[in-house]
Amino acid sequence: MNTAIALLPLPYPEAIVAMGSAVLGFVAGALAPFAVLRGRAMFGDAMSHGTLPGVVLAFLVVGMKDQGMLLAGAALFAIAAAALMIGLERAGRTAPDAAIGVTLSATFALGIVLLTRVGHSGNPEQSGLDAYLFGQAAGMVARDVWIALLLGGFALLAVVVFFRLLRSATFDPQFSAVAGVPTWTIDAASTALLVIAVVLGVRTVGAILMVALLVAPCVAARALTKRLATLVPISGLIGAFSGGAGAVLAGRAELPTGPVVVLLVTGLATAALLFAPRRGVLSRAWRRRTARLSHAEAWHGN
Amino acid sequence: MATDDLVIILTAGSLATACGLLGPFLVLRRQSLTSDAIGHAVLPGVVGMYLLTGSRSSLLATLGAAAFGLICVLGFDALRRTRLLGTDAAIALTFPALFSLGVLGISKFASGAHIDLDSTIYGEITFAPFRTMAIGGLDVPRPLLTTVLTAVLTLAFVLVLWRPLHALTFDPEFADVTGMRGRLVQRLALVASALVAVTAFDSVGAILVVTFFVVPAAAAHLVSNRLDTMLLVSVGIGWISAIVGQRAAVAYDSSIAGMIGLTAVCCFLLIRLFAPRRGVAWRLVRGRPARARGQPKNTSASA
Repeated sequence: MNTAIALLPLPYPEAIVAMGSAVLGFVAGALAPFAVLRGRAMFGDAMSHGTLPGVVLAFLVVGMKDQGMLLAGAALFAIAAAALMIGLERAGRTAPDAAIGVTLSATFALGIVLLTRVGHSGNPEQSGLDAYLFGQAAGMVARDVWIALLLGGFALLAVVVFFRLLRSATFDPQFSAVAGVPTWTIDAASTALLVIAVVLGVRTVGAILMVALLVAPCVAARALTKRLATLVPISGLIGAFSGGAGAVLAGRAELPTGPVVVLLVTGLATAALLFAPRRGVLSRAWRRRTARLSHAEAWHGN
Repeated sequence: MATDDLVIILTAGSLATACGLLGPFLVLRRQSLTSDAIGHAVLPGVVGMYLLTGSRSSLLATLGAAAFGLICVLGFDALRRTRLLGTDAAIALTFPALFSLGVLGISKFASGAHIDLDSTIYGEITFAPFRTMAIGGLDVPRPLLTTVLTAVLTLAFVLVLWRPLHALTFDPEFADVTGMRGRLVQRLALVASALVAVTAFDSVGAILVVTFFVVPAAAAHLVSNRLDTMLLVSVGIGWISAIVGQRAAVAYDSSIAGMIGLTAVCCFLLIRLFAPRRGVAWRLVRGRPARARGQPKNTSASA
């Protein structure tokens, strides 16, 4: 990693931030497709809002901003949010969208109540905790990048090893159920991947905007390819580019990181939807037009 | 109870009334999350109006917010029609970008101005009693006035369009066959929800919008199959949340919006556990298999 940082034409702190945001962007972009392609895009939204109370609670317990503890708290509450959503859906009569809405309200309201509690506690360390709402890449140090590389690398390794299983569960849940894979293990696995993506990515773009870092790279990659084996790395690369470039841009312009990264990645997704070579909106419109013209020519020729 | 407390409860309560009347339609048609998206997407409208005019008048902010609410709805509809992504992904792609624009606008140009992030995200219902305007020699809190007006207009909307709304929710084909202008009514309902979300954003902040729209309606759906009962129950839960939440916030010196949200969620969970027939506890006692009843009706309502 140190050589990579030395190679970047940036001063050391900026290079760390760019590197870290790129790693987080890659992890989020590569892990999210397994959830997004199953119609669980907004699942990630509720989970990222769910990290807020976890972070604040971890701070209340430890009394200082220890990065590892905050991550653990965030992960615990993201899992709890996922469990609440799945539980509400399974209990019947609550549709997935309503379950997501209820979870979103519960976690965010709890997070705000806890934040006001911390604000009244007078602990001077608490300032900057609300950066978890909008992300703050600027404060990243080398240790954060190592944590991201380790956790993200572990999750990506799991994806490579269980790729065939994850693929059949993503595109054909019935088949994998018939083939003898218990559906709950797949559910748990794809939820765990989403938890890692969310907990790490929240650092760059913040809880409110996290859903864009999950969904937009996947949408862009989907417009470019149909094969999951190429979609996952492309999605990761788009996430990495947006994270790295967005963090550097935001730092230079003295803007908050999260919104800049989100606008960049949404712009890329929109461009991919419009200009993708075969499945893009423009190329499809062009094909329809040429098809109509050749049809008309053939008609007049007769 | 001081007058300020009463103003806050009445403001939250009338907002809960407007949302409670429209929420069940969103929940039954599986469009709950559009309220969340609109609640976030209006931010650049509010900020932009402030930057353009330099004043934070409620009317201009509402106009700007309404414009961006519309952009959001049209945007995700256009994305969805490319067939390259699902409805939920289309929503998830649209509103964070719009929200980002708003945050950038605030941080770059309006820092230190009247609109700061805290009051737009956390809800400035705390300040509702202090934003007054003079009417006939009386100082009336403006948020209270707008939310009461919104509640009355929403009630009128639902009453006038009751039959087509009802038919559209439970039996869209019947609504089409009998010439009830299904698509028009459906669009009107979405526009009405967007307008309520905009007023809500202006008077209590973004987070309570999704709470008031979705949580009481989802709870009411557990109690009743009838649309009119659902509306009454969800409005009732909204008022309970407003009153209990405000009292709790005062008692524990905490965020009012946060406490109202938590109360609403507690109501939902209590009903989920103890509702007659459909509650988890009830089913445990009666030993009925988890999905034996109620499920067919649920699927027909969502068609």
